[in-house]
Parts: sequence; C-alpha cells; structure tokens
Amino acid sequence: MAKIAQFFVSMGLLLLLWTGVSTSGMVNPEFIPAPATIFTASVELYRDGVLLSDLSISLQRAAIGFALGAFLGVVLGLLTSRIRPVGYALHPLLNVLRPIPAIALAPLAIVWFGIGEPSKYFLITYTVFLAVWLNTDHGASHVASTYIRASRSLGAGTWREFFEVVIPAAAPHIVSGLRLGAALAFLSLVAAELTGASSGIGYRIQESRQFFRTDRMFVGLVELGLLGGLLDFVFQQISRRVVHWEQT
Amino acid sequence: MSGGPNPAVGNTQSSPVTAPVAKGRVTVQDAAVQFLHKGRAVQALSPISMELAPASFTAVIGPSGCGKSTLLNAIAGFTPLTGGAIGIDGTPVTGPSPRVGVMFQQYALFPWFTAIGNIEFALKRFGMPKAERREIAMQALAEVGLANKAANYPGQLSGGMRQRVALARTLAARPDVLLMDEPFGALDAQTRIAMQELLLGIWESRRTTVLFITHDIEEALVLSDRVLVMSAAPGRFVDEIAIHSPRPRSVEQIDDTFIENRARMLRLLRHADAAPSSPPSR
Repeated sequence: MAKIAQFFVSMGLLLLLWTGVSTSGMVNPEFIPAPATIFTASVELYRDGVLLSDLSISLQRAAIGFALGAFLGVVLGLLTSRIRPVGYALHPLLNVLRPIPAIALAPLAIVWFGIGEPSKYFLITYTVFLAVWLNTDHGASHVASTYIRASRSLGAGTWREFFEVVIPAAAPHIVSGLRLGAALAFLSLVAAELTGASSGIGYRIQESRQFFRTDRMFVGLVELGLLGGLLDFVFQQISRRVVHWEQT
Repeated sequence: MSGGPNPAVGNTQSSPVTAPVAKGRVTVQDAAVQFLHKGRAVQALSPISMELAPASFTAVIGPSGCGKSTLLNAIAGFTPLTGGAIGIDGTPVTGPSPRVGVMFQQYALFPWFTAIGNIEFALKRFGMPKAERREIAMQALAEVGLANKAANYPGQLSGGMRQRVALARTLAARPDVLLMDEPFGALDAQTRIAMQELLLGIWESRRTTVLFITHDIEEALVLSDRVLVMSAAPGRFVDEIAIHSPRPRSVEQIDDTFIENRARMLRLLRHADAAPSSPPSR
C-alpha cells in the first residue's frame, strides 16, 4: 500500500512539474506537449477506436510471445542444467545468442515470417526465451548440494529429486527470469511493431511521427510505461506468494 | 572385510546362537579420500579404519580439517573413496542410500515444504497411502515435541526447532545407520543441551547405530558409548575412550568418569592440535 501511495505522489509531482514547464513557454509544445494535451489526444484515440484495439493487439502479442518463450526457456533451462551432454552442447549457444537484441532480428523475422503476427510472436518469444533460459539454467545448476544430499539419503529417486527438490530450489531464479522476461516482452514488442506492423502501440507511435503528432506519441509511451509497471507489480505480488520461503 | 562371507558373525558376543541379525554394522577399511586442488593432490582423508557395532553410539572428535567430516561424507556415500572400502552390513557403500541417514549441521530442511511436508518427503519411499503417511509424519513431529508446528515452514521455526524437525525427518526414513555432522553446532548453549537430551531419549529407545561428529568434548562424553579422538591432518585415531556411564543418561548427570575422561580428551586434543607432522596446517 505504501508503494502505491509512493507511486501516486511521485507521478503527481511529475505531472505538476511537467504542466508547469510546458505552460511557461520555456519549451515548444510541439516537441513536449502538456499532460492535458496528451490526455486529450488519448481521448481522441479512444473515440477513434484505435486506443483499445492497439492495446488489445499489443497485449495479445506480448502474452503469446511471453507464454511461448517462458515455456521453452524453463524447459530448456532445466535440460541444460541437469543433463550434462545437453548443457555441454547448448551452453555456448546461449552466450552467442544473448548479445543479439530483438531489434536486430526484426528484418530477418519479416523475411522468415512475413509482416503478419508470426514475426511478432517470433521476436517476443526469442527475447523472453533467452532471459528465462539463462535464469532457469543458472538456478537449476546451483542447487545447494546439501539439498541434493539430503534428498538422496532420504531415498528419493531421480524424478522425485527433480520435481520436489531441484525445481523448488531453482524456483526463485525461474520466477525472477519470468519477471525479467515479462519486461523484455514489452521491449521486444515495440521493436517488432516499429518495424513492419499495421496495428499495436508501437505502430501507433511510428504512425504518429509521420503526422508529427507528438501528443499521440506520448500517449503510446505512457501506455507502455504504465502497462509495464503494472505488469511488473503484479508479477512481484505473484512471485512473493509462489516462492514465499525466499523472504526470510 | 567389506566382502566378508557372513556379516552377522560376531555381532553379539554374549549370545552367539540364534541372535537376531542386528543391522547397522559399519566397517571402514583403510578408507582414503584424495582430490585434486589446483593440480595438486590433497589428502582429505588419510587411510583410516574403524568399525561401528550395530546399535552403538560413537562420537568422533578432532580439530578442524582433520578429515572427520570427510569420513562421514564417505560413509554417507556423498564422497567417493580413492582407496580402501566402506561397508554397511557387508554391502559396500557406492552412493547415498536410505539405509544411511544423515543429519547436517544446518540448512538441510527443504524450505519449500512445511515441517510435516519435510517429514513426509522421507516417508514417501515406503509408498504408503497418503493418510497413513500424514499420520506417521504427525507422530514423528510429536516425538520431537513439535506437533503444533506441523504447518509451519522452516523459515518460521527457530534454529532448535529446525534441527528437531531435521532429526525427525532423518529418523522417519528408518535408517540403519545415523550419521550426524555437528548437528547442534550452530545452536546456542541452552538449545544445544535440550537437543542432546532429546537425542538421548530418542536414541535410547531406538538404538540405531550412530556416528556423531562434534567439536564439543562434553557433548561427546554425554551422548556416546565410545569416543574416537582424531589428530590434526593427516587425521588418525589417536585414542579411543569407552564411556561406561549407565543409560538412560541425562545431560545433567555427571559421574566421576566424566571428569576424568574430559581431562584425558583435553590433553589429547591439545597434542592433536599441535601435531608437528605438517607445519603449514594449523
């Protein structure tokens, strides 16, 4: 609750300052529109019907890409960390892929999958997958040896050790990988929508540039900021419950 | 010795015929552990031999780094031997097994399971119905006085309570041999005494073979039938003290032999610490 209060105080101060600066005439309102102008632009977009449709298509892309990437990342992370030959074969790949950002892959994605939805899913899945894979792999390969020893001397077999010891022990890392993945899903979403899309928040920002509508651009930025922030907050709340034992 | 023809031979000298085959005989024959550290061979355990009789309580005491924990880890099957052999009731140790229960110094309870969940983990190997498992786990918790903490997670328990759950969990798997690696070492003095009292009570009714590693002379004397004193690295057994104090014992009961044995062990350990054999190690 204190966090929420802090959020509103901070945002309120920002809005005040912003309004003050933009009404003082110190900056060109064409470049930095006042909050009220941005709000009017968002109402306008809402009336046109594009605000909600952009929002829903973007969220859908992020959700599908995230789900695919998270699933693949967790599965592969568990495989590379717990099965030695798989880890041996794939760990170098992880280090080579990691520095390649989604935006650099966007042109290739369009060649491969066309301008439709699959290229967006691909880029988001790729980004989320890498983050989740890395974290899962790290978590599951650093399970405290005491847990493994205790499990084995208590007579647990390989499968029980895997599901009741390795996965819970790695869970805090997996969850933080998912949280990072969720944030990255938004980043790569915009990368995907800025390069070849006909809908979505990123597309709308790009389109607004052609009409020099900075106010509409800001609507898109505010949407991204609020959505990302909200998502992270929700994720934090969920993970606090899932890996409850990590707090003490 | 480990491949001996009949492991039951000589189990109980008093009743040679029709004695029930007591389980939990541990035979350590020239066991050695060596590993490579930065390209150099390090002797973690120099060849050592000993035997634990079924239902006996043996304490091993010695300075840090003498190899007592390595010895325990080797018997538990955690650390492979590079020489010699370890057998339990005639079967060689090749890896961790539920025949050998281990109680660690700390942090071995699974924090993602509740107290009762941790004990149920140990019971799952028996493949009993869920309701029965829960009931037995509950009894095990009651035995260590924590029936009312069943639903608590380890993070919500004190250090002493955690070790009580750990003891209950280890015993729930019904091991033939119980290895304890300074299990009360991280506890404060009062809790430690309470734990010793609890362990005495439980052990005297169950009589599982115990190997108990400790730094604490008094703890060794109060709990065990026999104390093995180890020298500084390379660790060897420099003395063996039989404790004849009658059982059931209590932590508060101190007899004449206690004082005498304590003085003897203090002397030995002082010499063990100042072992001249390897100058760079403490």
